[in-house]
Amino acid sequence: MSSRKKVLLKVIILGDSGVGKTSLMNQFVNKKFSNQYKATIGADFLTKEVIVDDRIVTMQIWDTAGQERFQSLGVAFYRGADCCVLVFDVTAPNTFKSLESWRDEFLIQASPRDPDNFPFVILGNKVDLDNRAVSAKRAQQWCQSKNDIPYFETSAKEAVNVELAFQTIARNALAQETEAELYNEFPDQIKLNANDNSRNRDGDNCAC
Amino acid sequence: MASTSQDTVSSKTQENDDLEPGACPESILNPADTFEEFASEMSSSLQERNVLCTKSSTISEIQSEIAESIAEIKMRATKSSDDLQSKDESMSASASSSNLLEQDGDETDDEKDNYLQSPELVNKEKHVFILSSAGKPIYSRYGNEDKLAGLCGVIQALVSVVEEQNQDILRSITTKDCKAVFLVKGPLILVAVSKSNESETQLVLQLTYAFNQIVSVLTLTQLNRIFEQRRNYDLRRLLSGAERLIDHLLIFMEKDPAFLLGAVRCLPLPEKARENITNAITSTCNKIRDLVFAIMIAGNQLITLVRMKKYTLHPSDIHLLFNLVRSSESFKTAESWTPICLPKFDATGFLHGHVSYISEDCQACLLLLTVQRDAFFPLSQAKHTIADKMRRSNCLIAINEALNRNENLPTTNPLKHIAIPEIRHFMYKCKSTAQLFTSDPISLDRLQDYRLRHKEGGDICVKKIEKLSDIDYVRNYREFVSKIHCTSTPAKLIFRSNSNDTVLAWVTNGFELYVTFDPLMEKDQAIKAVDRLLRWIKNEEQRIFIMNAPTF
Repeated sequence: MSSRKKVLLKVIILGDSGVGKTSLMNQFVNKKFSNQYKATIGADFLTKEVIVDDRIVTMQIWDTAGQERFQSLGVAFYRGADCCVLVFDVTAPNTFKSLESWRDEFLIQASPRDPDNFPFVILGNKVDLDNRAVSAKRAQQWCQSKNDIPYFETSAKEAVNVELAFQTIARNALAQETEAELYNEFPDQIKLNANDNSRNRDGDNCAC
Repeated sequence: MASTSQDTVSSKTQENDDLEPGACPESILNPADTFEEFASEMSSSLQERNVLCTKSSTISEIQSEIAESIAEIKMRATKSSDDLQSKDESMSASASSSNLLEQDGDETDDEKDNYLQSPELVNKEKHVFILSSAGKPIYSRYGNEDKLAGLCGVIQALVSVVEEQNQDILRSITTKDCKAVFLVKGPLILVAVSKSNESETQLVLQLTYAFNQIVSVLTLTQLNRIFEQRRNYDLRRLLSGAERLIDHLLIFMEKDPAFLLGAVRCLPLPEKARENITNAITSTCNKIRDLVFAIMIAGNQLITLVRMKKYTLHPSDIHLLFNLVRSSESFKTAESWTPICLPKFDATGFLHGHVSYISEDCQACLLLLTVQRDAFFPLSQAKHTIADKMRRSNCLIAINEALNRNENLPTTNPLKHIAIPEIRHFMYKCKSTAQLFTSDPISLDRLQDYRLRHKEGGDICVKKIEKLSDIDYVRNYREFVSKIHCTSTPAKLIFRSNSNDTVLAWVTNGFELYVTFDPLMEKDQAIKAVDRLLRWIKNEEQRIFIMNAPTF
């Protein structure tokens, strides 16, 4: 059971440019916030260790560029992700409307094995600002319609809900991971007897 | 200053062209040249790489043969027509890493990169990183791979940007003092970042070995299936315990010329002793039907190899076995039964190996490899019979004398015995049998030394070494080996003389020879010395090489 020792989760953050993806990550990893806006070029990679139910989990966070001209990574980027975080700005309705296409884009590119149950988390960021334009109710409704995606309202600036959101992200990704262990912990032995065609017996009838 | 000449072989050397010490008509080893293979790997295109080679399984082939107990199938020598694409489009992709590595220079960025600047990681001569194609870390030679998750992300991004946007393969990035070499193999990405004098091909070869080491633990079938099912799989879970094998392999490869030349070193033994050992094995095992290979090794040297008719082993598979035995202390205390995949022999399945040392007073290790899953007891029985027979015919003493480097043996200190004072060091490879002999074989203990030293650091060493050993000479030969094996303009004979030393590298159809002489040697003088050296090797060939290819 030494396999329980280390877990590494690949987490991808997506959303329109300027919604605060990098700021959320910086707040979570470095506990810092800067008002200055700097566009992410390509991608940034950060890691942070968190503890979930007594397990030490390393989160490998892939912070992506929201601006289209810097989105150059595509499929490779999404490949093998354990969780996807979709971020919008509660003061900018357009960024909320984009969630749908970000989610679709991710599912197409990453093509996870079980798309319906792939762990997403939605973050409505910038709740510290006064000019809110997307209501919590509206966001929640949308999340419910998408197979109950967890929704958090965050402020990267004032560190509201950031820790909690990432904790949930880790936990949900981990739940998938442990499910997977059931399949892979006992890889089937290579059948060495040429007369034994049992491989046809236990394969092939997988409905998915 | 240094004078490098790439002459056509002089008349003197031509006489020796037919002299091939160590050559024999049949070989236990598959002499396919790994070096050329890797050079061709490096010139393969993206499309070619994606075509999965669907080789049929050798193991199931053996099994079906046993099951049907069919008589002799005439073996067709399917010589792979080495379609070496020496188009030599040695591309060096210029992936603009600036996109990904953009540093803003503010505090937060400094902090996150601190680990890359830690003493665990800086100033190392060679780093090796292995990650999944999703960018998840699997192995790092130094440091904690968990903390290198960010770096792995960058590597994955570099590789895939070149692949997807340019429909090309990222092979290497060269900076002023550093080479980064990339190898994408199945679902894995392997990277070497080196400040050593190893060539790109030599680094790719090492990465391929590291990949084969993983395959040896999991089989290629399982490795591919895991990632087909879950691309986010954290492979460390299945490899826990095997990191040690990769650690050892990387050190082993840097030190032992056997890897550089794609050859196997044999333990020098009197002809009669080796014959007795082989007979002990064949007479005991010829009734065990599913046994594919019986291999006896000691101190990274081959003592004998008995095989099922028509199957040979590739040197790189034997190297993996050497590494397995060297890295596993547990074999010393108990008989073991372990699944082993030999990637060159059959990457799709496991052989099952009975592994044990011959006796407490003899550090030779016997591996009995079978396709039968539950053959432990018959093989254990066989091992004891073999050990008894060997003891009775005094083979254990012969092995121990060779291992302890008894001064009376001519092969213990060949240079003294050859009595050509100008020769400081040599290594010789017989090409047809893929076997190797060097003037200063690394003893077990010394390799251990290097391992310990390495554990402490693996740092770049600037200190001047007082007495050069095999390992240091091998380091110097690297550039000669890569010139000799260059696919576009291979050299046949290289003679370089300067105030440090004189090196002669010479390849013929039959052998490869690398000799280090005293400084400022004349060419004629060197050729005369080489002449005598080759005659000595020829004289001793029965002792230093395995000259037959026994089968069960």
